[in-house]
Amino acid sequence: MSEYRLKIVTPDRLVYDDLAESLVARSITGDVCIMARHTEYISPLAIGQVKVKKKGEWRVASCSGGTLVVTGGNATIIADTFEWKDEIDLERAEKAKEKAEERMQSDGTEFEFKLAELKLKRAINRINTKRM
Amino acid sequence: MPQSTKIIKNRIKSVEGTKQITKAMELVATSKLRRAKENMERIKPYFESLRSLAEDLMEANTDFSSPFCKGDENKPACHVVIAGDRGLAGGYNANLFRSLKIKEGDYIVPVGKKVCEYFAKKNVNILTYDYSLAGNVRVGDCTRIAQLLARDYKEGKFGSVDVSYTRFVNVLTFEPETEELLPFAPRERGEKKAGVLTIYEGGVEAVFNQLIPQYISGIIYGAVTSSVASELSSRRNAMQAANKNADEMIADLTLKYNRSRQSAITQEITEIVAGSEI
Repeated sequence: MSEYRLKIVTPDRLVYDDLAESLVARSITGDVCIMARHTEYISPLAIGQVKVKKKGEWRVASCSGGTLVVTGGNATIIADTFEWKDEIDLERAEKAKEKAEERMQSDGTEFEFKLAELKLKRAINRINTKRM
Repeated sequence: MPQSTKIIKNRIKSVEGTKQITKAMELVATSKLRRAKENMERIKPYFESLRSLAEDLMEANTDFSSPFCKGDENKPACHVVIAGDRGLAGGYNANLFRSLKIKEGDYIVPVGKKVCEYFAKKNVNILTYDYSLAGNVRVGDCTRIAQLLARDYKEGKFGSVDVSYTRFVNVLTFEPETEELLPFAPRERGEKKAGVLTIYEGGVEAVFNQLIPQYISGIIYGAVTSSVASELSSRRNAMQAANKNADEMIADLTLKYNRSRQSAITQEITEIVAGSEI
């Protein structure tokens, strides 16, 4: 399969900067798959899983939003957070989930409620990815 | 004379005490600076990707329907001002404050304790005090600041948003800088690139709505890391200078002390000799 250059960056680090055959990410309208020679493309990413295929092997990761860009045949994911399955801290995710649920129950502004809701979604996504 | 030797000796002691403190501060700043620089290196790829994407978008974009693309000069502006938590860092805080252009009634997001103190006496609106410690700001905090700014900007609370910080060039050079964040429009209306056809998933507006908070948060986080590195570097330089001055003072005072001790001895001998001659 032909390959293309994929770069994944987060504010903490450069996660991936290598060739890839295929990429599946959760955009705001649904899952998209990027393969070599894709056209120019920009999409916001939703909280969800990202799968990267290299040399026939798939790697799974959890991604909590960001932007996917394809320019000049190269793809870049600018993610808020991005962890491969083996890097996810299950215990921490479960704690974050409880805390977010608690916060959603308590009285607060709509803005705070939304923040807590997003937090919960991120935590659930991590847990699901880890348990896959 | 013995009176004056004692005074000099006390002064030497006090300068030595000060020197110990400045030396310790220098060492602390040096070790923290190393970490701050590593941090800066780590976010560089993210920062660069985000910025180049934003620039491409600004250039290629022809659809300005997004509320983020429209500014309003008549409304108050919002400034994110990033400086230090502590003084004793040379001109670090003062240089940044001098570079600010803030009108009455503007909104401020202060990051850093010194910024809060500075604006406490001014006629401005403080949007939030939640991020007053620059040393404690993490990525998540920047995301929250960005969400807050994006929401208020959309509601029309302010007409433009910019961020003022100190750019870290190298360990000796840092420049106070102000960068415009919103409205998200081309800075110079130069010739447009021949339109590259790009697919925007969910439409241009949806892309902008998500990308812009991310862009703001990325730029702010980059600005914070750069400012922290500048602050530490600035403090290290100031402390180095203080150390050097203390060394010079001690050398100077020691010389004076020896001289005055010697002259006291000479005088005593003269007195004894004069007494024995009679």
